[in-house]
This record gives sequence, structure tokens and C-alpha cells, in this order.
Amino acid sequence: MLIRSPKSWEISASTVTPEALYHARPRREFLRTLGVGLAGAALARPGALFGATAGFPSKENPLYPAAKLKPTAEEYVTVYNNFYEFGTGKDEPKVNANKGWKTDPWTIELAGLVNQPAKFDVNDLVKKIGGLEERIYRFRCVEAWSMVIPWDGFPLAKLVALADPKPEAKYLKLTSFNDPKSAIGQRQGNLEYPYVEGLRLDEATHELAFMATGLFGKPLPNQNGAPIRLVTPWKYGFKNIKSVVKIEFTATQPKNTWQAMAANEYGFYANVNPKVDHPRWSQASEQIIGGGFFASRQATLMFNGYEKEVASLYKGLDLAKNF
Amino acid sequence: MFSVASCFREAQLQPVVVFLEKLLRSKPVIWTLLILPGLWPLWPLLVTRSPAAGADPLKLILHHLGFIACVLLATVLTFTPLRVLFPRWGVAFALNRHRRLVGVASFAYALLHLTAYLMHEGGFRTLIHDAFEQPKFFIVAGLVAFTILLVLAVTSVNALIRRLGGRRWKNLHRLVYVAAALAVYHQIYARKLFPVQVLWIFGPLGLLEIARVIRQQQTAGGRVKPAG
Repeated sequence: MLIRSPKSWEISASTVTPEALYHARPRREFLRTLGVGLAGAALARPGALFGATAGFPSKENPLYPAAKLKPTAEEYVTVYNNFYEFGTGKDEPKVNANKGWKTDPWTIELAGLVNQPAKFDVNDLVKKIGGLEERIYRFRCVEAWSMVIPWDGFPLAKLVALADPKPEAKYLKLTSFNDPKSAIGQRQGNLEYPYVEGLRLDEATHELAFMATGLFGKPLPNQNGAPIRLVTPWKYGFKNIKSVVKIEFTATQPKNTWQAMAANEYGFYANVNPKVDHPRWSQASEQIIGGGFFASRQATLMFNGYEKEVASLYKGLDLAKNF
Repeated sequence: MFSVASCFREAQLQPVVVFLEKLLRSKPVIWTLLILPGLWPLWPLLVTRSPAAGADPLKLILHHLGFIACVLLATVLTFTPLRVLFPRWGVAFALNRHRRLVGVASFAYALLHLTAYLMHEGGFRTLIHDAFEQPKFFIVAGLVAFTILLVLAVTSVNALIRRLGGRRWKNLHRLVYVAAALAVYHQIYARKLFPVQVLWIFGPLGLLEIARVIRQQQTAGGRVKPAG
């Protein structure tokens, strides 16, 4: 008999709104019942260009049950985006990333200090990994706002295992796409492109580190980082690099884009930490996106509520210096 | 001598200028111009109900109120250089009738902006933390600019203008330039990347001030020049 030990980061049942069950799960059950998961998703978003479509509908991972957090309304998750490649305004990516930017087919490369360097079509990769699972994670932006997002994807650890890193590999350097013809922000040069992020190998193989190819049971919309993106829920949003084309295993710590832009404001770790202020604002609390006009602010949790799982990764590290 | 008014006259635009002058002389027109832009967030929030606006409605309002406060501050500061540079232009004179009204309106928007900040960012606890406990120059700059505008608005009632006397009042009110400089800093550092709007809000004012200083030096130089 399988005994399920509840994860420490799961929110207690008393805080759960039944709506979460009502909204997040049954629609997908409905699609599954009809056997039109994909067709249904495509119909629901006419005109949208989808990324990776393999693996839907995803399976519920019993360790990450859907009912524990109440997801933010999908209309906010898919319009309130920081994706500077397509403009710095929150609602610009939804417009600019859907003007012919192609996210299918899409190749992702595993390179660097690995025994199995490879290039995969994302759909083939999903099949090779063995399908998708859903995880509902908190999402905390460095700008002090937060969402709850039901992601579909697979653990990054599986991808790392596929690459089979050499002993000297200590870091992952993740690189996003570079296509100034399609991406207005890259033409403007509002940041240095391509966007780069990095993780320590032990962070990347942590059970919470996730590669998402979908949200709300559907392939990722372009503005959310189609077709494949990183999700590290205990870190600020900017770590969660979108539209990844390359994962390189390195011996030295890669320099992530925002650190290169402003090292005094954005570090390598970017762990959510209510006690370490951003130089220009406090990180002690966060605005709940879609929370309405009043009482829509809540205290920020250490490691975004995932302290029990990830704190051991940072034992002995000065988090005020390594922000 | 170059004058905008004469240029307009040559282009047969005089009726337009006269109409503009009349329009800008009217208090109801100025009141409308001051209030309407502040109401803009109601459009996406209540009329079109855009999800991008509804995601964080108070932040939209907070940023918009600060933006209008900056625009009005930059606008009211152009009135004096416009009058100095174009002494015969009626529009500049019409505008100068409303200096106090526009200045106080800028303060009113700054007050609403601060109120929205307190409502959005966690009240006085956050303000005290970000301004005093772990001071952030971005927040301190905004707070000092607001305090200056507060003092200037309070001392703009007739009784206090008389009591302070012309010169002292004028010296005190020169602090508005400090407030403007702090507002520029505050606005730039409110964003992760440099916001270009700062340039078109405060850029024209900067150019006018440079032109005014040059003009005033020229006229002062002309005065001390010995005749012949």
C-alpha cells in the first residue's frame, strides 16, 4: 500500500477554497472524458500559436495535489507577463509574442560538460521523458507581486539525468531564444540578449525544479514562454527563464542577464526572501494578482513557502550577500 | 525681435491664438484639464474591464497618479520661462494666471499618489521601513518631494503669502525646483529599466529653462554694457 506523506509546503486543507477544485481540475477531466484534450484546447484559444503539444492532458502527480492552492485566474496569468523580449509593459507580450513568432517546431540542446550532449525536438523530449505532470506552485516576482499557477511539465532532474553530467559540471547555464526579427524587445535592445539564467547543479536536480511546457492543462501560450520554460518556485520570477533553447553544463557560475544588467539589485541566487530588501523596495509582502482592490496583499514567505524543502541547499550561505 | 505671436500672425493664425488664449484664461477649462487625466484608469478598470488592468488595479492607479503629478509639476514650471521667453505671447500670459491652481493640483495628485502607495504597499509600516529603517533613496526622494509640495501648497493661501512677504515667499517657493529634480529621480527609479516618458515630461522644461537662463544673461549683459 502506498502511504502518502504530505509535503511540508502543501497548504493546510483549511485554507483551501473549494473553487480551486471546481475551476482547475474538472475542466480537464471534462476534456479528457471527451477525448479531445488537444482539440479542445486549440478550440478554446482560436488563433493562438501553440508550443509543445505532446503529453497533454498531463497526469496529476499525487504528491502535488491540485486542491492545495487556489490558482490565479487564467486571464491574469496569460496577460500579466514580464517577457521583455516582447516589450516591457505587462500586457505587451500577449500581443507581440503572437504576431507570427514560431514556437513549434522547437529544438532544445543539452551541451557542455555532459556525457550525452543532444538536441531534441521538444515534443520528442516530452515523449522520451515519459509525459507530463501537473504542479500547482506559488509564483513570486521580484517586483513584489505573486500568482498561483498550475503548470504542466516534468522535473528538471529528469532532463539532467538524460544529459548525464560529468563530475566537473557544477552549474547549468540556460539560454533563451535570440530572434530579433520576431521579438520587438530584442530589436530595441531593452536587455542584453539572449536572456541567460543559471542554477547550481544541486538546485537543478532538486525535486521542485521543473520544466514547464504548459499551464492550466494546455500548452504554454507564447507570452508565458512557449514551448518550454524553467519553473523554480522558491526563486524570484526572473530566474524562471522562458523559451529555453539550450542548457549548458558548466564548471563556473554563469552570469544571469539581470545580474549583468544591475548586479547591486539582482543576484545569481534570487531566492525569495522577505528579510532581504531589494535596494528600492521591501520584499516583506506581495500583491496578489487578481486579488482585487482591497486586502489583496499578503506576507511573503521565506523561500516563497518552500523553506522546508530547499533551505538545506543554502546551509552556511550568507543570504543577504548572496541574494 | 523673434516672437511666437508674430510668427502666428504671419501665418494668419491669429484667430486661433486668440481663441486659445481665451480658452486657457478660463478657470473651468483649466479645472477640466486638471481633473480629466486623473480619471483615465477608470476606463480600463470599469469600462473595457481589461484583465491587464484588473490584475493589480491599485498599482495602475498608483502609477498613474504619480505620473500626472509629475506632468503637472513639469507643466506649471514651464509657465514662467514661457512668459520670459515670449513676453508678448498672450497664451503664456493666460497660462500664468493659473500657476497656483496647477501647482496645487500637482500637490493634490502627489497626495493621492502617496495615499494609493500606502494602500497598495502595506501602509505606514512599509513607508517607515523603506524611508527610515532601511532607507531607499528612491522612496526618500519621493517623500521629500511630496513634503516640499505640501509646504508650498500650504503657503499658497493668500494670508500666508502676505504674511511671508514677497521675497521670503519667493525664496521658499524656489524649493519647487528641488522637488522637480527629486521627482525626476523618483520616476526613473520606480522602474526596472529607464522610463523614456521622463524625457518627454521633463525634457521640454529643461530646454525652456536653459533658454530662459541664456535670455536672462543676454538681457542682464545688455544692461551692464556701457553705452556707445
